[in-house]
Amino acid sequence: MKIEISKLEFTYPGGVQALRGVSLEIEPGEQVAIVGQNGAGKTTLAKHLNGLLKPTSGSIHIGDWDTREQSVSKLAQRVGYVFQNPDEQLFSKDVGTEVAFGPRNLGFSGEQVQGLVNDALMLTELSDKTDTNPYDLSPTWRKMVAIASVIAMDTEIVIFDEPTTGQDAANIARIANVIKVLRERGKTVITITHDIDFCAENFERVIAMSQGKILLDGKANDVLGEEEILATTYVDPPQLTRLGKRLGFKETVRNEKEFLAILTKQGHG
Amino acid sequence: MPDRLSFYLKKNSIIHALNPFTKLTLVFAIVTYGLIGAGFWTATILVCLALLPLAFTARLLKEYLGVAVKLILPTAGFMFVMQSIFIPGGTTEIFRLGSISIELETVQRSYLIASRIFLFISAFALLLLTTHPSELMTNLTQRGLPPQFAYVIISTLQIIPQMQAKSLTIIAAQRSRGLDTESSFIKRIGLLVPLVGPLVFGSLVEVEERAIAIEARGFTSTHKKTYLHEVPDTNLDRAIRTILIALIIVAVVWRVWPS
Repeated sequence: MKIEISKLEFTYPGGVQALRGVSLEIEPGEQVAIVGQNGAGKTTLAKHLNGLLKPTSGSIHIGDWDTREQSVSKLAQRVGYVFQNPDEQLFSKDVGTEVAFGPRNLGFSGEQVQGLVNDALMLTELSDKTDTNPYDLSPTWRKMVAIASVIAMDTEIVIFDEPTTGQDAANIARIANVIKVLRERGKTVITITHDIDFCAENFERVIAMSQGKILLDGKANDVLGEEEILATTYVDPPQLTRLGKRLGFKETVRNEKEFLAILTKQGHG
Repeated sequence: MPDRLSFYLKKNSIIHALNPFTKLTLVFAIVTYGLIGAGFWTATILVCLALLPLAFTARLLKEYLGVAVKLILPTAGFMFVMQSIFIPGGTTEIFRLGSISIELETVQRSYLIASRIFLFISAFALLLLTTHPSELMTNLTQRGLPPQFAYVIISTLQIIPQMQAKSLTIIAAQRSRGLDTESSFIKRIGLLVPLVGPLVFGSLVEVEERAIAIEARGFTSTHKKTYLHEVPDTNLDRAIRTILIALIIVAVVWRVWPS
């Protein structure tokens, strides 16, 4: 499902202008990371995609729907949104019921709900915790419950708001795996993140925002190579990217594989 | 998101500059006079001759009237109407509503009660409008109020706006999961669990974290505590308090003196 954002501007009721003319297209099945300093407008932008915020001016289309004309609960059929803090949404007595909440709201049949829940629990490695109370789980696993509860809604578009904040390496790997599987299924994934390594390792397209505008938008390697521009929105490229630059690599690298490939080539050359 | 922690509105006025304890004494004096004042109009007169000028001096007349009209008047007005209609006991019937008769004595008594309530709440409202809650509590703690008690008051004031912000996030999160919050009233009752659940669980977790955080900063330490912020207590404050306390004693003595 294609996302089209056109000249989007948004001002909060308090008078803060959070978005100053954002135009953007995201093709179906794309994996996009949005980076930028606090207050750059990343979350404000993401909240427009599922209708939690409505544009002050400009428009957003999710497929053939204009978000101004649809309720949030209707848009939930197309856009899943994983909030940053799982504790702000978990309420059920066990993980299975919690994860089933979304698909039930969307009106799936009992059988379909069961299938979606099982699949989401499998994907988030929660299958053995179906009957556990979410509040008996550690914060990292609660995060996975929140992710599962959105995956189970089987939306074409999934938004993650700061998925890796406060997570340990093992859980970050789990989240990366979820994103990988979603890509294989052809879902669009949009992630807001401060974790530049996570961004470099898992996303093909990176958008850098600053002061309510898009600063850079393109292939991860191109965007992450723009060290000076990224610095204006307080984003450091990944360590390997910076090391590659210092070593005089012509191409921008963003992970071990690319880094080692160039190093080996130079070594032999 | 609410941008105010409490009623308090910062203004540069002599009322704001008074020591919180002086203002508390003033409220106490007004309440005393409102309660034991014999006359039917005492409370009304006190509102007009004490609270309104005080609000004006504090440069908060508009805000005070806003609170009075929006918050206190409906409460007092509701009580006045209900008591006038449903409490029997009068003899002079004014008019009749079906089988209910409205009597002059009941209306008078209801007015007395309602006007007193109006007076008490608005006196406190004025105190809260002109006094920062932390300043009030710091001052009372310095005067011997247990810090635990002060903490309960202050943290409640701080938690309310936080909980409001949090409940907005919860509503947003559940709507994103397809929860239809714009449906009929009956349906909405069923929505309470997903909305209130996270709020309560989250708040319980926070209470524990807060307890640990303040304990880590020596809250229950038995050493004598010093204060970063000294609340000024001037001669004027002391003079006003002495007069107020004298007035309270006079009123009480005059009232209980066997005549």
